[in-house]
Amino acid sequence: MSANLKVERLRKVFSTGKAAIDDVSFSVPAGDIVVLLGPSGCGKTTTLRCVAGLEHPTSGEISIGPDVVSAPERGILVPPRQRNLGMVFQSYAVWPHMTVHQNVAYPLKTRGTPRGERNGKVADALELVGLSDYASRPVTQLSGGQMQRVALARSLVYQPQILLLDEPLSNLDAKLRLRLRDDLRKIIKKTGVTALYVTHDQAEAVVLGDRIGVMRDGKLLQMAPADELYNRPADLFVASFTGASNLVEGRVMAREGDFGQVDAKSGEKMSVWLPAGVQPGEAVKVAIRPENVRLGTNGAAEPNTFRARVSGTRYQGTQTVYELAMLGATIDALELGTRVRFPIGGEIDVVLPPVQCWAYPAQQTIESE
Amino acid sequence: MAADAAVASGVESIAQQTATKAPGSRGLLGWLWSAGLMLTLAFLVLYPVAMLLLGALTNTNPVVDGFGVFDLSVQNFSEVLANPNVHAALINSLVACTGGTALAVIIGLTFSWVVVRTDTPGKGFIAAASMLPLFVPPLVAAVAWSILASPKTGLLNILLNTVGIEWRFNAYTMTGLIVIFGIYYAPYVYMFTASALRNMDPSLEEAAEVSGASAVRTMFTVTFPLIAPAILSGMLLSFIVMLGIYGIPAVLGTPGDIAVLTTYIFKLTAWSPPLYNTAAAVAIILMVVTGFLVWLQHKITSRRSYTTVAGKAFRPAQLKLGPWRYVTLALAIVYLLVVVVLPTLALIVAAFRRFLFIRDLASLFDMRQYGLLHFERLFANPLALRSIWNTMEVGLITAIVGGVVAFAIGYTINRTTLPMRKSIDVISTLPVAIPGLVIGVAYLWAWIGLPGGLYGTIWILALAFIARFMPDTVKALSTSLLQIHRELEEAAWICGKGLLGTIRSIVLPLARPGVIAAMTLLFILAIRELGSSLFLYTSNSMVMAVLLLDYYEGGNLGITAAFSIVQMILLAVLISVANLLSRGGSGDSSGVGRAG
Ligand SMILES: Nc1ncnc2c1ncn2[C@@H]1O[C@H](COP(=O)(O)OP(=O)(O)O)[C@@H](O)[C@H]1O
Ligand SMILES: [Mg+2]
Repeated sequence: MSANLKVERLRKVFSTGKAAIDDVSFSVPAGDIVVLLGPSGCGKTTTLRCVAGLEHPTSGEISIGPDVVSAPERGILVPPRQRNLGMVFQSYAVWPHMTVHQNVAYPLKTRGTPRGERNGKVADALELVGLSDYASRPVTQLSGGQMQRVALARSLVYQPQILLLDEPLSNLDAKLRLRLRDDLRKIIKKTGVTALYVTHDQAEAVVLGDRIGVMRDGKLLQMAPADELYNRPADLFVASFTGASNLVEGRVMAREGDFGQVDAKSGEKMSVWLPAGVQPGEAVKVAIRPENVRLGTNGAAEPNTFRARVSGTRYQGTQTVYELAMLGATIDALELGTRVRFPIGGEIDVVLPPVQCWAYPAQQTIESE
Repeated sequence: MAADAAVASGVESIAQQTATKAPGSRGLLGWLWSAGLMLTLAFLVLYPVAMLLLGALTNTNPVVDGFGVFDLSVQNFSEVLANPNVHAALINSLVACTGGTALAVIIGLTFSWVVVRTDTPGKGFIAAASMLPLFVPPLVAAVAWSILASPKTGLLNILLNTVGIEWRFNAYTMTGLIVIFGIYYAPYVYMFTASALRNMDPSLEEAAEVSGASAVRTMFTVTFPLIAPAILSGMLLSFIVMLGIYGIPAVLGTPGDIAVLTTYIFKLTAWSPPLYNTAAAVAIILMVVTGFLVWLQHKITSRRSYTTVAGKAFRPAQLKLGPWRYVTLALAIVYLLVVVVLPTLALIVAAFRRFLFIRDLASLFDMRQYGLLHFERLFANPLALRSIWNTMEVGLITAIVGGVVAFAIGYTINRTTLPMRKSIDVISTLPVAIPGLVIGVAYLWAWIGLPGGLYGTIWILALAFIARFMPDTVKALSTSLLQIHRELEEAAWICGKGLLGTIRSIVLPLARPGVIAAMTLLFILAIRELGSSLFLYTSNSMVMAVLLLDYYEGGNLGITAAFSIVQMILLAVLISVANLLSRGGSGDSSGVGRAG
């Protein structure tokens, strides 16, 4: 049932003149869940709506399974209703003048499914999302989470080839969001549908996605499984967006394979991971996640061991953030545990494991335009 | 008119509930103030309505008998309810209003959909065209259409004749009445449906599209059901206004002997001897029907509407119409042509042409036939000049006195905790359910029998208008009062100012744009008001709208047209001044036409 989705060189320019998405290419294998992640305004929704057919791309090509559904250069534009896909909207978009059953049955009605079969399918879909007992309720009497479940059932009931979800959890309160987030993955995987999911929430992306694509200003920067994204960010923006908040400025002195030597501004030498293309002599910013900064040494002489002064601490209950003055910068280090181990003003040794120090060209920025 | 405040409550914000009340003094002064307002309202609203009721329940002729004896009986009602003429008028009213409403819904809904949901070019223009008919006084529109489409001499029919088409327009039929009602009251539906469509989360429609529904199916299974409350509201409102209007059925219905309730009521008082009691009874029936419809409309608008369902990042979802978008544009142009351009041209031709008889097209453009004759004759009539003068005077009194009273009421209701606030609120909205004509009959009953009283002066007209437009004015002022932050007022109190000092130094300056807008609106509404004037004018207090109708009924289309043009120009000037005064106050301009 489920099909693979292929998006090639997709570009959409609105009447305002600026490209909302520019040269976006990716593919989703049948049955996979791919998450598009990025700050608000980066073009996630536009991408999704182009796949749905609700937005007409300016150029590029979209195919679902063997069928090309959007190819403006060739004059191909299949309307949404013929794409056989399901969509869950940020605002639920359940129809308030219908009951739960009527909402879920609507797509089957438009397809002319016979009544008996229809009722069976609606019952199955409602059971899948855990709303069997609510079939005859008007949707206006449901909570936000339940409405979103109705929307999900409605978009799955006709076994679409592709399921599109646009920030389906962002209108829910925090607790409900966690519950539905975990349920969502189970439900989607149970149906085996190919899913494209859009969110600005990293945690959601990591839990839900088989692969995650990070977007910024209309461009797809990197698409990879979560662990790769978190351990080998393709550029400074991805690194910083996924939480590598510490930056040390320096210059590349030498390269050996994937690693290299960087002289920090303070004059100290760091051993770092160098992405392809970064050359010796280039000014770089080295990004380090606070979780990856190790406080204190285990006795042995390790590379990238530096002397730091604790300039501040932020106690957060189950974890503590230390503000460290080192390498000519302030570096945050995060340590789990309820006890603060180092006093303010003290000097300690700090290890920055080279595989977790990533150097990016200094002209890259972390802000979205 | 009945529905004026209903519009306000429907279209304007419902922020009223959130207003906090001032501590306001509950002392003797407060009681005196409230009592004063209640007395004013009793004088303006309750007393005339009570007299109307009394008149309907007796056989006393107030002119002959004075207010000496009252024999109470329901005889008038039973007679009226058994009278076949009343039945005919009632049925005509219902048919005309139902037909007119249906047409208004079709036009209003179509244009709101075109403006909000399609990629038709020139949507700003279409939106403006959809509201424009509100600015055309109904009486003038009817006169223009009788010039265009009277069966024998109508300009359109002359055109048909020259082209060699046998078929003729006839505005003096029920169909004519329905069409004119429909095209001129479509904006009432448009106002409601356009805002409902605009507020609707477009993803509700997109969800249907993704689910496999075609555009048409989406429209009928999702879009229209979702805005059903707005459609119903607009329908009821336009029905209510049509039911209470006098000018259009008087102009178009009389030649073809089609009496509706309003024209029938007037006919009763024009007989000799005038049947004031019967008129009062019919007026009360009209008032009850209107009251019921207003209540229904209020219920619908105050219910939680579907269209405010949560959802952010609304995108204007626009249907790409392809070549059809020129068809929708053409529809709007045709509509503008029919409601504004053609009638204006007709008035111009009739006003400047010596003789309206036009043999053929060539003679239409024969400039020798044109001149200022009708204007000269119009202004040679001292009554015409007096009516213009009177109208201005009445307008001014209505605006100033009405504005002040409404401000006092609005402030008391919204910003104080004074006693009797609730009753003041209710009574001041009561006129919503009273058609203008009924107010006229009520005021007639209230003052005609009192010697040396108001009757025969322009003050009775002004007071009737103040009562009639009270709900609108209070509503408009309340809205502008609610926009003044409570804190500003409290700051003044804390600084040691008294309540009156606070009002003078803080509230009045801040509310001034709103007050000026409300007064201008009152002025404009008063100038075009016909229904209630009919019963209250004398030759000394003749006003423009009544004289215009007189000229029409006297059969002099040239002067009628000339006078219509004078009135239109006056209104246009006033509306421009109003717009200048309340720059950007779009809510006010839409109020101009509400009185129907
Ligand atoms: N209908 C539209 N018309 C013009 N600009 C739009 C429209 N929709 C989106 N945009 C612009 O395109 C960019 C991407 O928007 P969107 O895809 O909604 O971002 P996201 O979903 O990632 O928050 C934004 O700059 C937005 O302002
Ligand atoms: Mg979005």
